[in-house]
Amino acid sequence: MTALRRRTPSLRADARRTALCLLASLFLSAGVFAADRKPEPVPMPKEEALRLGERIYREGILPSGEPVMAIVQEDIPVDGTMFSCTSCHMRGGLGSNEGRISTLPTNGDSLYRPYEDTPVPMTTVEKNFKKFRAAHRRPAYTDETLAEAIRLGTDPAGRRLDPTMPCYQMNDRDMAILVSYLKVLSSETPPGVTPTNIRFATVIAGDVAPEDRDAMILPLEAYVRERNSRSRGLQRRVRMRASMEGLNLALRDVSLARWELRGPPGTWRAQLEEYYRKEPVFAMLGGIGYGDWRPVHDFCENHRIPCVFPITDFPVISESDWYTIYLSKGIYQEGEAAARYLRREVERVPETTIVHVYRDTPGGRALAAGFEETWREMGLPSPECRVLRGDEPVTGKLLRSLPAKGAHAVLLLWAGPEAAQALEEIAADPARPGKVFLSYSLWKRNPGTVPDKARDYTFLTYPYRLPREEGPYGNMARAWLAAKKVPLNDRRIATRTYSLIGVMSQAFGKMRQNIYRDNFIDSISVLPDLLYPDYERLSFGPGQRYASKGCYIVQLTHGAVPEIVKKSDWVIH
Amino acid sequence: MAKGRFVIGVLLLGALAAPIWGSRAQAAEKPKKTVEKYFVPDVVLVNQDGTKIPLKKFLETDRPVMLDFIYGTCTTICPVLSASFVNLQNRLGTDSRKIRLVSISIDPENDSPKVMKEYMKRYRARSGWDFLSGTRSDIDRVMYAFNAYIANKMDHYPLTLIRYPGDGRWVRIDGLMSASELMEEYRKVSGK
Repeated sequence: MTALRRRTPSLRADARRTALCLLASLFLSAGVFAADRKPEPVPMPKEEALRLGERIYREGILPSGEPVMAIVQEDIPVDGTMFSCTSCHMRGGLGSNEGRISTLPTNGDSLYRPYEDTPVPMTTVEKNFKKFRAAHRRPAYTDETLAEAIRLGTDPAGRRLDPTMPCYQMNDRDMAILVSYLKVLSSETPPGVTPTNIRFATVIAGDVAPEDRDAMILPLEAYVRERNSRSRGLQRRVRMRASMEGLNLALRDVSLARWELRGPPGTWRAQLEEYYRKEPVFAMLGGIGYGDWRPVHDFCENHRIPCVFPITDFPVISESDWYTIYLSKGIYQEGEAAARYLRREVERVPETTIVHVYRDTPGGRALAAGFEETWREMGLPSPECRVLRGDEPVTGKLLRSLPAKGAHAVLLLWAGPEAAQALEEIAADPARPGKVFLSYSLWKRNPGTVPDKARDYTFLTYPYRLPREEGPYGNMARAWLAAKKVPLNDRRIATRTYSLIGVMSQAFGKMRQNIYRDNFIDSISVLPDLLYPDYERLSFGPGQRYASKGCYIVQLTHGAVPEIVKKSDWVIH
Repeated sequence: MAKGRFVIGVLLLGALAAPIWGSRAQAAEKPKKTVEKYFVPDVVLVNQDGTKIPLKKFLETDRPVMLDFIYGTCTTICPVLSASFVNLQNRLGTDSRKIRLVSISIDPENDSPKVMKEYMKRYRARSGWDFLSGTRSDIDRVMYAFNAYIANKMDHYPLTLIRYPGDGRWVRIDGLMSASELMEEYRKVSGK
C-alpha cells in the first residue's frame, strides 16, 4: 500500500497528517487499535479471510459490509466506495505509473523483502529505475510496519509516503484480514509458466473456414517464432553479463497451442477443460469463431485466464467480467451507435417516429440488443418492433406495411443484402421512411450491393476506420503480414491479429519480471491509446474491456464502387 | 452511521488540529500557482445526464468555476481530485451551489454519459458538479485552450483551474491540494 512519489512533505505537514490520521483512527477505533500493534491472527478459515481481504483490497468494503474510511492528501476524508487499494496498486498488486506518480507494488513478495537497488544496470531504463529504487530503499515490511504504513502512511525506513496514499481507518482484525490477502497476492507462479517458457493457447471455436483460421493463426505463429529467436539471442548475451532483473519475461520462450473446438457449442466447455487439464496455459491470445464467444469467455472467467482480442462478432457484453479483453463489442456496438445517433435526431426533430425491424438471427439479435439497451439507458421509450423469422423474405410490400411512413420516419432494418430489392422498390414511394438504417456487418461488408436508388435515404453503421484514412496504419500492417505470407481478406482477421501482436508486445514490456495473470491484464489496461488499421483508436483503462469504442454512421456515394462518407463522429455521445 | 461518525470526527479533529499545526500544510513541494487568461473554445460537450453543454457559456458565469481534467477509469490522480471536489461541496453545504465544479474527460471514447453518471454517483456528487465529455477533437481543443494538452491519458497530471467570477481570470494550480488549501483558494476567488 505504498503510493510513493519523489516528493517530501515538510516536517510540519508530516506532523499534521500523522496526527490527523492517528487521531481519526483513535476516534473510530477507540479500544481496539494501536498504531504499532501487530495485527491479530486471522480468526477464520484461510479461504474466508482471503475472500474478505480481496473485497477490502478491490472494493474497499470491510468484512462488516461498511466501506473502509480513510484520509487522503492530508485532510480529505474518503471511503472505499470512491476508490480502493486496487485503484492505484492495480488488481495484480504490482503498482502503476500515472503522470508523475509511481505507485509501488503491494503484493506480499514485494512487501516482505527489502526494496533495494537493482543489480548492475544495463540499459538507460534500468539506470533510471536504479535511481528511483535508491531513493525509496527500505527494509522488508513486517506485519506491524505494514499496518503502520496502511494506517499512518510511513514506511519501515521511517519515510513519509506520498499524501496520495490514504491513511486507512481499520481495526486490528480487518487489518489482519487485509494483510493475509496481500501476502498471497500475485505470489504463486501461474499455470503455464516455467522458468524457461510461457505457454499460451489460441482457440478455434467450431467450424471456421481454413483461410479465416490461417489469417488469425499465421501472424501469431510468426510473432512467436520471431520473439523466441530474439529471446534466445538475449539469453546468450545475458549469460555473458550480469543478471538483469526485469527481463525474465524476455528470457523465456513462448509457445502457442491450438485448441480446436468441434461439435455443438454445448460441448465446448468440456473440450476446453480437457485441453487445459492436459496443458495449462498462462493466457489465451486471439482466437476465432463465427458464433457466440460465451463458452470460451465463461471458461476464461472461471479459471481466471486472460483472453486477449479474440476475433468474434459476438463477444459477451458485460460491465463486470474481467478476464477477456475484446477488440470491440462486435455487432452489438453497431446497434448502440445507431441508438446514440438517433437520440440526437429525436431531440432535433421531436416528431420523428422509429420502427425497429430485425431478423431473428444472432446478428439481428445482437444489433437489436445494442440498440434497445442503449435506447433504454437514455430513458427513451422502446420503438415499435417487428421480428423477422430466419427465412422470412424482406419485400417492398412488407416495408410498405410498416408504420414507418414519411420524411420523419426512421426504419432500422437489421437484415442482410436480401433486402436490397425491397429498398429499391420503395425508393420512389413518397410514403417511404425518410431514413433507413442498415448494418455494414450484417450487409456482408459489401456496400456496393446497397441499391444506387436507395443510397440517398440509406445510412449504414460502419464500425471501422474510414478506408481513406487507413493509409499509413494499413500499409505498415500489410507490409508486415505480406512478409509473413499471411493472406488478407475483407474480414480484417489478419490486420486485427496484427493489432493484438502490437498490444501484446507492449504489455509484455510493462509486465517485466512479474508474470502473473492479473498483472498481464493490468499491463494492457495502462497502455496508451493505440492507432492501428481497422479501428480509429484502441483505448484502454482499468475495467475497460472493449478497446474500440466507436462506430461511424455513414452514407454511400453513387456508382458501382461507392465511397463511404461519414455522417457522425467516431464516438457518438 | 459509521460514515456519519467519520465525517463528524474528521471535522472535529480538523478544528482541533488547526490551531496546533496551522491552517495550511507547508509541503516542501507546494502546488504551483499562477494567474492566467484563457480563451475557452466554443464547443458543445455533453454532461453525465446526456445534456448538451455549450462550454464557453457554461463557464462564463457570475459564480466561481473550478475545473479539472479527469477520466472515469483513472488509477491515481483523478480519485484524489474528485474526492477534493466532493469534499469542497460537503464543506460548503448549502453554499455549494454558489460554485460551479466542472470535470472534463480526457478519455472521451470511454466516458459516455452512462460512465460519467456512475462515476459521479460513486463520489456522491451533488448538484453543481458536472462531468463533461465530447468528441476527441473538441476535447483536444479544450485541453489546448487551457494549456493542458496531453496525448496519452496515462501521462496526465493534477491540474485545477479556478475562474474568478466576472472578469475571466483563471488561477491555475499545478499539483494536488489538501482540502484546506482548496477551500482557501475558493475563498480568495469568491471574496468570502
